[in-house]
Amino acid sequence: MEPDHRDHRCHRPKAFDKMEALVREMKNTESGGVPVRSQKIFLTSIPAAFMGYDLIEWLIMRLEIEESEALNIANQLCQYGYFFPISDSKNLVVKDDSSLYRFQSPFYWPWQNKPPDNVDYAIYLTKRTLRNKQRHGLEEYEVEALAILRKNLSNKWDIITAQAEEQVKLSKAMKKPDKLISDSQEKAYWRVHRPPPGIFSSLEQVPVPTRSWKGIKPRKKTIEDCKREVELLRTSLYRTRIKVSQALENLVQHVETYTEFDPLLVPPHPSNPWVNEDVTYWQLTASFFMLRYVCRVDVPTEKRVRKWGLSMEDLLCDPTGVQEFTNYLQKEKSEENILFWLAVNDLRRSSQSQVLWKIQEIYENFVKHGAPREVNIDNQTMDKVLEGMKNNSRYCFDAAQEHVYNLLLKKDCYPRFIRSDYYKNLLANGIQPLQKKRFFGFGPTKKKASTSAQPNQGGSAQQAVTVPCAGALSKRRGSDRSLSGSAHEISHFGVSVGAHSSIVKEPKVPHSHSQSNLSDIPYRGDLDLNKSSGITDTSPVKKPPSIAPGASTSEEVCPWETPSSPPKTPLTNRKNSAHLDSESSSSDVSVGVSELAEKLQRSLLTQQHTLDCGKNLHVDTYETPRRASVSVPITHSSGSGSMEGARRKVSSFEDNSSATISAASSVFVIPSDKDNKADASAKTLKKSHSIAKASSVTSQTPIISVSSATDDADEDQQQQESEIAMADAADVSVVGDDQPSSIELSTAGTAGLSQSEPVSPLAGPSKGEAKAPLAEPDSESPASEMPPSEIAAEEEHGKAQGKEETKKRKSETGEGDEAKSNDVCPWEDEESCKVDTPFVKTYATLGYL
Amino acid sequence: MDADSKATSSETVESLQKEAEVLKKRLEEERQKLNDISLEAVAERLDCVSCPNIKPRRTLKGHQAKVLCSDWSPDKKHIVSSSQDGKMIIWDAHTTNKEHALTMPTTWVMACAYAPSGNFVACGGLDNKVTVYPLVLDEEISQRKKTVGTHTSYMSCCLFPNSDQQILTGSGDSTCALWDVESGQLLQNFHGHSADVMSIDLAPSETGNTFVSGSVDKMVLIWDMRSGQCVQSFEGHESDVNSVKFHPSGDAVATGGDDATCRLFDLRADKEIAVYSKDSIIFGANSVDFSHSGRLLFAGYNDYTVNVWDTLKCVRVWLLYGHENRVSCLQVSPDGTALSTGSWDCTLRVWA
Repeated sequence: MEPDHRDHRCHRPKAFDKMEALVREMKNTESGGVPVRSQKIFLTSIPAAFMGYDLIEWLIMRLEIEESEALNIANQLCQYGYFFPISDSKNLVVKDDSSLYRFQSPFYWPWQNKPPDNVDYAIYLTKRTLRNKQRHGLEEYEVEALAILRKNLSNKWDIITAQAEEQVKLSKAMKKPDKLISDSQEKAYWRVHRPPPGIFSSLEQVPVPTRSWKGIKPRKKTIEDCKREVELLRTSLYRTRIKVSQALENLVQHVETYTEFDPLLVPPHPSNPWVNEDVTYWQLTASFFMLRYVCRVDVPTEKRVRKWGLSMEDLLCDPTGVQEFTNYLQKEKSEENILFWLAVNDLRRSSQSQVLWKIQEIYENFVKHGAPREVNIDNQTMDKVLEGMKNNSRYCFDAAQEHVYNLLLKKDCYPRFIRSDYYKNLLANGIQPLQKKRFFGFGPTKKKASTSAQPNQGGSAQQAVTVPCAGALSKRRGSDRSLSGSAHEISHFGVSVGAHSSIVKEPKVPHSHSQSNLSDIPYRGDLDLNKSSGITDTSPVKKPPSIAPGASTSEEVCPWETPSSPPKTPLTNRKNSAHLDSESSSSDVSVGVSELAEKLQRSLLTQQHTLDCGKNLHVDTYETPRRASVSVPITHSSGSGSMEGARRKVSSFEDNSSATISAASSVFVIPSDKDNKADASAKTLKKSHSIAKASSVTSQTPIISVSSATDDADEDQQQQESEIAMADAADVSVVGDDQPSSIELSTAGTAGLSQSEPVSPLAGPSKGEAKAPLAEPDSESPASEMPPSEIAAEEEHGKAQGKEETKKRKSETGEGDEAKSNDVCPWEDEESCKVDTPFVKTYATLGYL
Repeated sequence: MDADSKATSSETVESLQKEAEVLKKRLEEERQKLNDISLEAVAERLDCVSCPNIKPRRTLKGHQAKVLCSDWSPDKKHIVSSSQDGKMIIWDAHTTNKEHALTMPTTWVMACAYAPSGNFVACGGLDNKVTVYPLVLDEEISQRKKTVGTHTSYMSCCLFPNSDQQILTGSGDSTCALWDVESGQLLQNFHGHSADVMSIDLAPSETGNTFVSGSVDKMVLIWDMRSGQCVQSFEGHESDVNSVKFHPSGDAVATGGDDATCRLFDLRADKEIAVYSKDSIIFGANSVDFSHSGRLLFAGYNDYTVNVWDTLKCVRVWLLYGHENRVSCLQVSPDGTALSTGSWDCTLRVWA
């Protein structure tokens, strides 16, 4: 205990100080320690012992705790060897009864001296062999240990035996009770430090240098360290702080506001899935967590919608919230702000290899003067952005982003959103899970389904699309957000999920096109090419789920799948359906679906990811796909331009379930598409693409583009513009990767018809079948649409967004002088969770200046 | 460089340290000026937190050695856990099934993390590396692993900062680092701690530009991920800081330390605002996490227990028994419905 002992160790856990202090108090019998006396058992007298319940009693009184906690502490102390049971040498357990314990001598406390070495242990064991066999005989493990030690320490063995003999001689001279005590203490010591096999020692340390027994000296501070520290201290000295009272008030307020949203404090409705196995809650709150922003369209619960109203941060941290917000802003023609914000967020965390073209893309789309979705930024911020762009910094748009966030989104768009009828409708339509669980989704869904009849298909398709990507299609969706997915669709969805984005048809459904493995996982991108052709004819058979990672789930799905699917329901595939439409199908179905959906989502993610990184970790990269990706955006633009036209067409297509299906397929495709622009896992793209085409009776990219052009005469110009813009974007991306093929594509895109060429090989077969050119736009357009808006939202591939050339910047409100200040303090957004406390907010900002 | 520093004679380690001391003192004075009330006083008007009836709901058995780290999947059901013997297991916690089991070529895998997409996990430990595994069923996952970054000492913690493309790590070499997953490139290095970094946590903002780190040097530092600069520092712990966690509001940071205390530091008030400790708690806290509202703070301790603190009233409201060895890791599920704990007793448990 002299400090010198410990000098060589820098890491002595604080707990030992506290334990020692406590044990000292215990041992202090004069002033209220644990009563220690000689105890008698039968005729033998056991010196210096105390009883278990005395100890527990003492701890309860001393620490003012419950018995259970006292017992726990007592056991800890026992395991560390501060006292030990007299009668039971096997287990270091304290019982709250009259069993006897004895304090360990401080000499044997842990962390007092160097940890015992093997020589000590050998001496101890040898000593015991020299003594009375009956009382000091070795345990089996000790015999083994001794044999090993003898071998390893053979050079020192003479000394060891000599030492042991010496000690035995000494102990013989001791009085009997003393001998008893010291023997038991020594034994207990080794019980702690060399525990029997299979028994854990609480003295075990994490084997890292600074935490191990010996420890190491802390690294010496270099002059750089010191400079850094002083610098930090200097700046902190002049930091503006808020009063503690205010900080605390905010904290309390935050907690009070959110308590009702805390499932561990207020049991969630209908129930906590961990408590009673009912996963309805997860279905209700599900959302796709793709890269944090991808959403799926569904009817959120009322509570969830209410939470969006708490603060902008709450809205933005919920993917569905982001989507609804985007939808709303799109209606208002002011979505460029949120899209820009999302795009910058994505850029910030993109792969290094993608930073370059993403910067260009954002610049072209949002920042450049006259950009299709130009955001309103003041000059100073603009200068900063341009400065940052020179270094190709992934953070170059941060200043602009903060400006947009604080002045436009937060002060203008968000309050408008919350006050809007749109939000009120969401709130009114929100699910109240208190209703009977089984039918929770029923009411709203049903209504929607009925209303949506024709247009729904289009809408549904869109929605489906939306799932993987963020919701761009606000317009359509916003108006009729039909939740109804027929069970059939659901099953579809589920299956496809299981099969990894391959659309599998159920045999029962007449129209279904099954795409077998098409969607195999991105990792094995090889399969698809051939498949694409084969896909065209719909094979009713589902894909063996085993292929996909989701295999297990798929199995589950299958059984119910069939029964549940009502034949020929107007197929709206919606992701929502997966989670929400439990209506038609039983809840279990929905469960399965949700699982599937999740799998699907995962798989999508994987795809995305794969695509995202030019060099996928695991996947071989295929470099071809440029065209595919390019084509997508283009299509999209056309599609978006002609959205309404597309819709109409869609309606005509009603009976064709295939159309819907295609939409669904396109859904899957989309995510990949967007991502791939930049990179290359071509196969997946093609695959997906082809799939989409195949499934949609008519859909071929070329057709699509054509149709859009023809149909939307009025919008032609816009489209062209947008296309051009897209082409630009494509070019940019090309620059990043310099692939000739891609360039071609991009140029082609400019022409407007371009995509068809690259795609065509795949599409070829399907093309012939194309019944209605109209159909494709429907199927395809939603999909294509999605990528732009959604992508932008989430992925920030703003490229495709040609359609909104006439940008309305609604919020031209304050341009920010404050913007600069904002960017100075990176903390800002995080700091303020509450919209309604602007004062605090600003204060905080200042604080960080 | 050397010549420069000598030329300005004041720039020696000693003088700088002296200056730092003075500055610290002044800083403390500044902070005290605004210290007008205690958290307990503010929270007096609040009702006691209604004692949640938290019970063990699942026990995940399968590890053969100490569980050292775990992380929830964003899907709210899966958990990845890593253990002392180099095994990493992906669990479906709801069904308690094991979905993957990976063996790392190292022991003491002290950190593991799920990517936000749920498609990757990262892990590392005594091998000083952070390795990313894709989660796919079809092939041998281990062959798809990718080593993203390497430290000069063990890796103690890692996380994906809102993206599958980057990994943030903390290490025994006293630095944190931000890596590009695809290229393995070091994007940013964070120097400032003078001893092993034990824990990091990302700020809960959408932009996620800041994170907090806790270290054996007893310091808690807040970092700007963009500049690599430390922007704020907190002292208070008397021993190693084992765990750090942002309050859901983003305005405060909770820490758990070897001194058997948990503490709450407010970023805007720039000071410690609460200490959660008790005479009867004598062992260090290894891991802390908040319930979704921030009202409850869960802390896993070396005495095998999980203590649940009322963060506002600063009292312990609950004590969770169950584990038979140190609680090494602990995390509230992404949707706040459950708490997972991992322990040296080789099991994980889910509480709700």
